[in-house]
Amino acid sequence: MIQTRRYEFLVQNTPQKEWIEKRGILMWLAMFFIELGAGAFVVSSIVGNQLGMLLGWLLCGVLGGGFHLVYLGHPTRFWRMVLSSGWKTSWISRGLAFVTLFLGLGLLHMVLLQWASPVTGLLIAANIFAFLAIIYVGFVMASVNGIPLWNTALLPVLYLVLGVWGGLGLTILTLEATGATTIAVGSVEEWSRIFLVAFIFIVFVYLLTIRYQGATGKTSVRVIVAGKLAPLFWIGVALFGTAFPVGVAIATWVAGLSIPTALLFVLIILELLGDLTLRYCILKAGLYAPLIPSTSYA
Amino acid sequence: MKYGMVIDLKKCVGCYACVVKCKQEHFLPPGMTWRKILMSETGDYPNATKHMYPILCNHCADPACVKACPTTATLQSDDGIVTIDQDKCVGCRYCLIACPYQARTYNADEKKQYFPGQGPTDFEKLGAKLYPHQTGVVLKCNFCRERIDAGIEKGLQPGQDMEATPACVNICPAKAMVFGDLDDPDSEIARYIREKKAVQLHPEFGTDPSVYYVIN
Repeated sequence: MIQTRRYEFLVQNTPQKEWIEKRGILMWLAMFFIELGAGAFVVSSIVGNQLGMLLGWLLCGVLGGGFHLVYLGHPTRFWRMVLSSGWKTSWISRGLAFVTLFLGLGLLHMVLLQWASPVTGLLIAANIFAFLAIIYVGFVMASVNGIPLWNTALLPVLYLVLGVWGGLGLTILTLEATGATTIAVGSVEEWSRIFLVAFIFIVFVYLLTIRYQGATGKTSVRVIVAGKLAPLFWIGVALFGTAFPVGVAIATWVAGLSIPTALLFVLIILELLGDLTLRYCILKAGLYAPLIPSTSYA
Repeated sequence: MKYGMVIDLKKCVGCYACVVKCKQEHFLPPGMTWRKILMSETGDYPNATKHMYPILCNHCADPACVKACPTTATLQSDDGIVTIDQDKCVGCRYCLIACPYQARTYNADEKKQYFPGQGPTDFEKLGAKLYPHQTGVVLKCNFCRERIDAGIEKGLQPGQDMEATPACVNICPAKAMVFGDLDDPDSEIARYIREKKAVQLHPEFGTDPSVYYVIN
């Protein structure tokens, strides 16, 4: 039997804390708002919803970028992340470049849209960088090979689905707010349902894959589904973020009715809450494998 | 040229001299250690055995931290030593998360003192002049880069001459550590690794650590 005297974290699974505890909470929020904002911009630009584009741009730039900056130890040096050659290997550097280019091109497109004739190429470029802004966080985390829960190619896919799904929800909200036609709202709603199914499938496959990826991965999954994060996961992600939207979608589909606006608003808020909760769980349950094996070398 | 270290776990007595010397050498703030020692016990009295595991930055040949750094503040020199340029570090802590060995520390609190409310000690005042650490940046073991550089300038040989060798290696009363050039097959460290069949910690991470352990 081993009795550790000091640095027990080295013989047990150690949770990462830098990006979720204390000021690390800002990273969690930054990741959420950057992907949500970029997703809303992409979806809104496709359906021609200017308010959604502006809201997405603001969420990504002001909240996402703002939280990122406030988190840094030296925010005034942030320019080094783009202008240094770090982009060759660092996903954070690449991500900041994607977000900066998306924000710049997106703003230019919105300005042209308002006061001059828009350029299609500009919108396409803005959307490409918005798309990259959605998925870069997944790559940032997937490249950390010390944390099995993150070290999977499924994470960028999951975050892509979350970003676009959240973007669809925000687009519906803004379409409703601007009094758009029922047809426009309905088509976005249909896509939202497709992404809801994709979300359920990917979360299931993701957790199942990690479950069989060694002892540390198994522990991470257990922490999420049956450990201290279980209440958050089952209430926030499974109930609010998944079961309610699925239940309402099935009920209205069977009854052949459209979802009342007020209920739609509530469902989208719950979906976003589920998105935020799942991101929290993934960051919080990120465990490092023990450095020293729990059995003696002797 | 690739500097590395081998730690003979059979010789380590767990005296913490290396940890304390490192703290002193680099004037580390309260609560921060660049070296750590894990101790464990196996078996029951009278057959109990104590084990020591000194842990430090592995100065990997293919370091995850260098790849993760968005500002190129974390650098690897030609001799394999991985260092941090504090003036370039933006404090994003991605390197800290990317390091599978958890060898890095974030220097968050500028007001941290060894005796809070009583002002800085002479040690802290001296450290602020000789070896200043910025706050809001990540810090870690640098294999006593400054000692190696100064020693080489004087024509000394790192690993052989104490003045050009990391402080932790010099201070070890059990001589449990050997420092030197891993690329030189005739160096003491290369021979030690060969003869004692020293191993890297978690080679499966694929970073090719330059710190080896003798376990048998």
